[in-house]
Amino acid sequence: MTRFFAFAALALASLAATPVLAHDPADAVATNPPDAPYQKVNTLVPLPEFLPGIGELFVDPATLPAGPFVAYNHDGKLVSTIYMIPLSRMNADTSFDDLAAPGGNVDHVDIYFNAGHPGVEEPHEHIVLWHVPVAGEASVAE
Amino acid sequence: MERRNFLWWGGGMAAVFSLSPRLAIGGSVVEIAMQGRPDGSKVWFDPYGVLIQPGQTVRWTNKDKGNAHTATAYALENYDHPRRMPEGAKPFDSDYLLPDESFEVTLDVPGLYDYFCLPHELSGMVGRIVVAAPEQTGFADYPDGDLNAEIIAGFPAVTDILARGSLQKDE
Ligand SMILES: [Cu+2]
Repeated sequence: MTRFFAFAALALASLAATPVLAHDPADAVATNPPDAPYQKVNTLVPLPEFLPGIGELFVDPATLPAGPFVAYNHDGKLVSTIYMIPLSRMNADTSFDDLAAPGGNVDHVDIYFNAGHPGVEEPHEHIVLWHVPVAGEASVAE
Repeated sequence: MERRNFLWWGGGMAAVFSLSPRLAIGGSVVEIAMQGRPDGSKVWFDPYGVLIQPGQTVRWTNKDKGNAHTATAYALENYDHPRRMPEGAKPFDSDYLLPDESFEVTLDVPGLYDYFCLPHELSGMVGRIVVAAPEQTGFADYPDGDLNAEIIAGFPAVTDILARGSLQKDE
């Protein structure tokens, strides 16, 4: 009981300290291009600059393959944060802990299979945290 | 020029087409598209099995807007892969093709040419070309101990290629 109270108080205190910014994307990734160590994916591996359905993609190469990748629409606005998890690592002996999530508010999530692409060649799952409403996905459709 | 030839043949020879598909494509460039679903969940060569004549040219074009692909022959020279080409044939490798980029190769030595897409081999993106002079026979599949089962399953059967000339996969 005491511990719960202490935790609640802490949570309230941190909320009070950053009442609005808590759910906004971190400045480092809010607009295209994000700050270092993020790098544009098509400068790291041979891929189109703009990926239909995803947008312009950046990643810190040190975090491959999981990411986070951050994706931007044609207006340079952050639209999603993506993790790419190889099927071969979805097993009892592998876990991905404490992955960064700098993108702020998540509106909805997509999880789908990808057969592979340069950078993450193995078949894998895309876990997409959308920071825009479903209708906003159209801004990266093509 | 070659294209016009092909069209001209197409009109008059339609009746013979089904009997001798290799006559119909003789001399033309054979096109193979690199394809993918928009979400990248499936990728493939279209067609993934083709029959051509010695000296004919094959051209691959990446028609997948969200991915890069390669057409890379099975050969030790190509990333240490087992050889699956006729003796005396030179290995080919397109390197990465971005959307709308093409690569072509002319194949002279008769036999079976198996090839893969470098980033998508594990997803079964492989293809087969049979180079055969008219009426040439005696082609057999490569023994299948050299590659894992998922990849082997991706190849069309030689007999199907010989019978039908061109084979497509379901999307
Ligand atoms: Cu491919």
